[in-house]
Amino acid sequence: MAKGHDSEYKKMIDKQYKDLMKQCQVHMEQIERVLPEPKEDLHEILRDRGFSRRDFIKWTSAMTAALMLPPIFRPMVAKAAENFSRLPVVWLHFAECTGCSEAFLRSSYPNVDDILLETISLEYHETLMAASGYQAEQNLEKAINDFNGKFICVIEGALPRGLDGRYLTLGPKGKTGIQVAKEVTSKAAAVVCIGSCSAFGNIPAAKPNPTDAVGISKAIGVKTVNIAGCPPNAVNFTGTVLHYLMFGSLPALDSLGRPLWAYEKRIHDFCERRPHYDAAEFVEEWGDGGAKKGWCLYKVGCKGPYTYANCSKVRFNDGISWPIMAGHGCIGCTEPAFWDHMAPLEKPLDEKTLGGGERTIDNIGIALTGAAVAGVAVHAVASVIKYKGKNIFPKNDDRMNTKEEKHD
Amino acid sequence: MQKYLGIKEWSASMRINHWAVAISIFILIVTGFYIADPFTIYAGETVNKFFMGNVRFVHIFFGGFLIFLSIWRLYLAFFSRFHADWRDFLAWTDIKGTVAQIKFYLLISRHPEQKYLYGPMQSLAYTGCWMMVVVIIITGLIMMGAGYHAGLTSIAAFVLKPIENLLGGLAMVRLIHHIFTWLFILFIVVHIYMAFWYDTVLKQGTVSSMVGGIKFKRTKE
Repeated sequence: MAKGHDSEYKKMIDKQYKDLMKQCQVHMEQIERVLPEPKEDLHEILRDRGFSRRDFIKWTSAMTAALMLPPIFRPMVAKAAENFSRLPVVWLHFAECTGCSEAFLRSSYPNVDDILLETISLEYHETLMAASGYQAEQNLEKAINDFNGKFICVIEGALPRGLDGRYLTLGPKGKTGIQVAKEVTSKAAAVVCIGSCSAFGNIPAAKPNPTDAVGISKAIGVKTVNIAGCPPNAVNFTGTVLHYLMFGSLPALDSLGRPLWAYEKRIHDFCERRPHYDAAEFVEEWGDGGAKKGWCLYKVGCKGPYTYANCSKVRFNDGISWPIMAGHGCIGCTEPAFWDHMAPLEKPLDEKTLGGGERTIDNIGIALTGAAVAGVAVHAVASVIKYKGKNIFPKNDDRMNTKEEKHD
Repeated sequence: MQKYLGIKEWSASMRINHWAVAISIFILIVTGFYIADPFTIYAGETVNKFFMGNVRFVHIFFGGFLIFLSIWRLYLAFFSRFHADWRDFLAWTDIKGTVAQIKFYLLISRHPEQKYLYGPMQSLAYTGCWMMVVVIIITGLIMMGAGYHAGLTSIAAFVLKPIENLLGGLAMVRLIHHIFTWLFILFIVVHIYMAFWYDTVLKQGTVSSMVGGIKFKRTKE
């Protein structure tokens, strides 16, 4: 009976994935017709960088699993990776530190993700392009007109809204960031926000936020895919783009616009130090015995329990390490307003001070409780002196007096 | 000669509910403070220890129990066969009476006539307390649901996701949960004092009435 039910279920799932596969194949063929030839041959680049075919196959397996697809999709992921450089990308920079670009392009142990990002067909990238001034402006206009409705607009950085957006102007014509963002995103096939600045405002929007900076979707009201993080993991960006290449649509998003396959679960849920949390083994201070044994970093400020991200699963730099593995707690960089909400970053939230002062909630709570106890003690003494032996209730109050008393 | 007169004040279900809530809140405060600021257990091997896990289990268990007790109490407020007291929770809406009650508490004037089961300030405190229970349950469910990816709790987390985003993420939810813990502590201080004050100074037999259900008063024969 159970076996029959299982096979029925299996059939249903198989059919679902076959349909998905068909959709994927149709879309890949369409992409090969519509989009320009790949600018670079991925396999040649990989060979030059010392990656074997086996390394590449291993990477496709990992990527397929990360995207929560069954292994039959591995060839499609490989094909999508080969077609990666067909996809025209316009990369805009606003209020940010370019750390996301740096993190993607300058890893000392590049993996296939990083190399993929290097092969990306960047039509416009302010940090990397040779052009400047009017020439750069022309490149941008050419790119958005040539690939109207086909290119992906990647945005790094928040948009300041103060002074009509004039806190951020760029280019020879002195356009505000908001103008540029509106122009480019109106012609883009999809808008991908890289990093927490463009996703949620992050540090440019941290208190007191003098420039009134906010994330892209809030600033110009477009739907964005938010690859949150400070910086985000390259895997989360390449995975989202691969998904777009394979299925022609963006992956399922959570309520904050982050791809569910990467940001559905918390750091804490898949943390390698989680058993130490449950065993009540905490690092009490940096470099103590617990730190040497790799105990939980909750008490030195790890914000993993409040942070949705997949760092604990995919790690950084070809899976070499990630913050908690390296011995520093998570700072919660994928969450909105993390700079304000997660502070202090190296202390637990229990030691968070209120309103920029020096008092934690526990300090205030203890003080108020002490005041309440002192208050009731004073009240007790005063009331005993005043009310001792007196009937202070109204004579006709049945609830507080007994009926017998009413008669005397 | 002195005589004792008993008036039934609380039904058995009200009393059981009251003490179950009291015990739950006490356990939740103790375990909650441990989760907020835990101490390390050094002795023993990691594999044999599960202290934080157990504390969290107790906290979540009594959190769920508190949800049940709140629903039970809400039912009693409207459908208790002894005395459905939902109107008494609104005694504070009589502003004149509330002012008179505050004056009495400040030892300025005599006790005003009490028209409801609860005094005006008492009803305000209890209404506020149940509002606090609602907030702490919702924030608690959000935090519990974040860590469980299947079952009823994941449904709660899914339904409450907009509230989580509105409050500004799990860190802010935790902060609010922690602030409300302190509000409960303040409530408990005042609540216990007022119960004993009415009992010892005003001779109302308050404390024993919540145990036996009957308010005893001394009367002159």
